[in-house]
Amino acid sequence: MITTDSPILRIGVKVISPLALLVATYLFFAGHNQPGGGFSAGLVIGAVVVLRTVTGLQRTSHVTKLLAVGTIIAALVGIVPVFFGEPMLAQSIWETTLPLLGKVKFGSALIFDFGVTLVVVGMVSAAIEGLGGTQYVSSREVEDI
Amino acid sequence: MIWLLLATHCAVCLFLAIVGNRLGRIVFILAALPAVAAAVWGVLQLVSDKPPEEASLIWVDGLDLSFTFQLSPIASLMTVIISGIGVCVLIYSFGYFSKDSPGLGKFSATLLLFSTSMLGLVWSDSVWTLFVFWELTSITSFLLIGHKNVYSRARLSARRALLITASGGLCLLAGLLIISDNVGTSRLSEMSSTGSVSVAALLIMIAAATKSAQFPFHVWLPGAMAAPTPVSAYLHSATMVKAGVVIVALFSPIFIETEVWKNAGLFFGVVSMLWGAIGALRQFDAKLILAWGTVSQLGLMFTLLSLGNAKATFAAIAIVVAHAVFKAALFMIVGEIDVRTGTRDIRELSGLAKSMPLAFLAALVSAASMAGVPPLLGFAAKEAAVEAALGLSGLEAWLIGGSIVFGSALTVAYTVRFLIGVFAIKATVVNTNVKPLSLGLSVPSTFLGLCSVFGFIFLPVVSAWASSASVQINQKAEVYELYRWPGLTDAFLLSVAIVIVGAFLGWKLEKIVVRQAEPLGADFTDSLISAVLKLAQKITGKIQHGSLPVYVTTMAVTSSLATIPFFFALDATQIYWADNWAQSVLVVLILGSSFTVVALRSRLGAAIALGFVGLGVTGLFVAHGAPDLALTQLLVETVIVVGFVIGLGKLAHGFPPVVAIWRGARMLVSAFVGIAVLVSLLASASSPTGKPPIADLVEKSKNQGGGNNVVNVILTDIRILDTLGEITVLVVVGIGILALAKPKQRLKVNQGEIDKGDIV
Repeated sequence: MITTDSPILRIGVKVISPLALLVATYLFFAGHNQPGGGFSAGLVIGAVVVLRTVTGLQRTSHVTKLLAVGTIIAALVGIVPVFFGEPMLAQSIWETTLPLLGKVKFGSALIFDFGVTLVVVGMVSAAIEGLGGTQYVSSREVEDI
Repeated sequence: MIWLLLATHCAVCLFLAIVGNRLGRIVFILAALPAVAAAVWGVLQLVSDKPPEEASLIWVDGLDLSFTFQLSPIASLMTVIISGIGVCVLIYSFGYFSKDSPGLGKFSATLLLFSTSMLGLVWSDSVWTLFVFWELTSITSFLLIGHKNVYSRARLSARRALLITASGGLCLLAGLLIISDNVGTSRLSEMSSTGSVSVAALLIMIAAATKSAQFPFHVWLPGAMAAPTPVSAYLHSATMVKAGVVIVALFSPIFIETEVWKNAGLFFGVVSMLWGAIGALRQFDAKLILAWGTVSQLGLMFTLLSLGNAKATFAAIAIVVAHAVFKAALFMIVGEIDVRTGTRDIRELSGLAKSMPLAFLAALVSAASMAGVPPLLGFAAKEAAVEAALGLSGLEAWLIGGSIVFGSALTVAYTVRFLIGVFAIKATVVNTNVKPLSLGLSVPSTFLGLCSVFGFIFLPVVSAWASSASVQINQKAEVYELYRWPGLTDAFLLSVAIVIVGAFLGWKLEKIVVRQAEPLGADFTDSLISAVLKLAQKITGKIQHGSLPVYVTTMAVTSSLATIPFFFALDATQIYWADNWAQSVLVVLILGSSFTVVALRSRLGAAIALGFVGLGVTGLFVAHGAPDLALTQLLVETVIVVGFVIGLGKLAHGFPPVVAIWRGARMLVSAFVGIAVLVSLLASASSPTGKPPIADLVEKSKNQGGGNNVVNVILTDIRILDTLGEITVLVVVGIGILALAKPKQRLKVNQGEIDKGDIV
């Protein structure tokens, strides 16, 4: 396949991946007040995974774990409030002041969103694996970044 | 305290499930700790005068769903039985399993989880809590019966048990829905009789009968003997099968005016009592004799409870206690014999009375208690039952009373069969070789054997417990008590006659019966399952033909047809062309790309054109001022296009050539889908039914959600339940993709399936 043999694409993806992860992190935290959120962050990470798989840089791994852990986190965020006398899925918001960052607002929705992110990444990885994306790696050893 | 106990049970379960497999047999001692606590607490509750302890946790307020517990007298009594026998069984498991048995952590965790769900079941005050725990007992018992899952027999029995008890669970759910709607409350302690509720009564009675293995649902119980003996001793004698009895006891006051409740209960009870006893007389496996005996004893409890009078209710509760003690002990002894001699077949056992003296003594005492011989707990309980039978009048006296007496005689008969078969020296059989004694196996059964004696010595205590529990069902039960020596009453004379006749019958039949009986109907359940599977296979073969284009066409046409109602709701006056010029340009781009997709013969080209459609839609979102949607759409499109690239790598460059008519048909379908989507969107946008909720949502999002991005706050707070549902769907789809994509691995599992055939 052409993609695995193209050094430009491989190096390009290598360079872009950490940047893309940074973008994903930004989207994840910005989501509450600006465009972004867990779903978008998951898609960006998913796109990174897809690109790295296509260029033979890595295999998809821990797909079922990602799906399972994501769902469990999201479900826990829903269930935990019940034990504190709140209705199911109620959100709690904490505000603190941290060094460097200043006033920080943190809601349990963020944890829920993290679960969503994991599920989205897992789903994209599952789709790649289902489409046979891992075949690109088999011809070539997996390299480090 | 209720929460603390439940939490401890669950914590220990989790711990055992995770690290238990590495700990060896010590897991059983760990599992016994919470059970000890629960048993002690149950005793304290029984002797204290305080009002019953309650605990409640609201789950979903609007639906009246909550976890509500109340420690009624019945619950306290059952707690002592469940956890007390549980401790004995766990200690017994320590002796039963060898050091290197596989899966002990999982097994002990499941056993304790079962115990927990039984406790939850008897503690429940809300019918929904009751239902949840009821189902949990079905599931855990399925896992326990199937513990030796490399044997096909164990798997089959587990499946059969699950099928029967789970269908009972559905009946229970339906019954509970009807009754809670009818009475207007979901709390058992607040329910009272509101006249005749036949359907609910029948459904709940059937549910109880499936769980308690009543005829004709008893077929799963003998099969369940494929489980390791500790499981049989615990689930199929003392606890799980009692769940049905508890349900009947709890609902008796509510259905007191319902005729069908009493009749159904009496039918199940009487038939099971007699059929179970006859079944027990036709078995050669010592464990199966006891299993069939359990069906019979449960039938007796059903009969007594369904009679509805105070005397019979009191007798039923007394028998519940006595039965738990002696039947658990007997099962444990059979398991011990199995471990020490390697067989349970009474045709192969001989001379065990001499070679296993301690087990023989414990078995003798427990069996005598089962037969109702003084001076033992079983005698006092059986005496109360005979009294109740004599108290009946008219047709009931002949039919029901007669059956109870006859059933008791048969009970004595199979008890004698069990004792002679297992322990006697037989001339034709070589004395069985016996392995040395193991304390872990002997101590619990000896202890429970002694309990039958102690129960008689401290009879007033047991009597008071049974009395307080039966008062909960029937106020008039207060006056009754268990007697050590009733005097030369009619009942006592009848009891003597029962024992003599029964013993004679058992002694005679022991020689006559030569063929082991299979439970009728077990095959029927199995063939039902395979028939359903075959039908499913046929239907799947027809529907899942494997042609991808036909699948897609079917789905597209069906969903488009579903939008037909929208065509009528279309309000043409509300429609306008565009908000701004950008939109018009983008629409032209999207339409152009769409036609390109249809027209192109190259796969890669079509994929790229499709990407343009997606980008155009992204542009529309931007033009409309929805950056969040635009961002998400853009990302989704990116991933999809890359996904296409991966997929296309495996396919030929162009689409396969097709005949013109088929190509035309596809275009028609595409056009139809497009129009359907267009019209349904236009219709829903053009006929609003009220004020748009956006202002409200913005307000909520800022005040309660604490965020300015309304879309995201809707996703993660206001409509969080929807999101949770959506990601669950995503996960299911993901797992589906993985399963479909790995056909080779699935094949390996099928071929590697281990099957060691028969174990019983």
